[in-house]
Amino acid sequence: MEISFLNIVLALTFGMLLLAFLLAFLRLLKGPNMSDRIVAMDLIASVTMAFILTYSVLVKKEIYFDIVIIISLVSFIGTVAVSSYLKQKK
Amino acid sequence: MTTIITAILLFSGALFILVSAIGLIRFDNLFSRMHATTKATSFGILLMVLAEGIFFNSGVVWLKAVLVIFFIYITAPLASHSIAQSEKE
Repeated sequence: MEISFLNIVLALTFGMLLLAFLLAFLRLLKGPNMSDRIVAMDLIASVTMAFILTYSVLVKKEIYFDIVIIISLVSFIGTVAVSSYLKQKK
Repeated sequence: MTTIITAILLFSGALFILVSAIGLIRFDNLFSRMHATTKATSFGILLMVLAEGIFFNSGVVWLKAVLVIFFIYITAPLASHSIAQSEKE
């Protein structure tokens, strides 16, 4: 991988996204409540989408864009399913 | 020129997502945490998807970009509303 302006910015972006993933995972581990864990899971899905977008710019292939569409739909369905399960249990 | 715009949009999108993660770890209330994660993350993803569309700049990619932005901005408030309603007794 050659050193260019775009590659340096992409490396910085990967680092910031990794830090965001770490913080969200910390909240997922120690969240005092179930709802906090659901919020952290939602943020982790968004961080994954951002990872895939950055990776698709890095390897210059636009086929990876479909994964982002699928993840956005699946994460919405998962969040609504878990939270409606909690509402029913209460 | 396209490269510079793409780099700036990607970097600022990642910055917004990092800020929302910091808000998630530092706030002490569930509703404050939801306030941090829902809006800033949607805006960060919007910026990154725009960077993608500018970088590849073809019709299919712009169509998918509009689709993703539409999905994100429709579904993020709905999911947040559902979580808040499950927390309320």
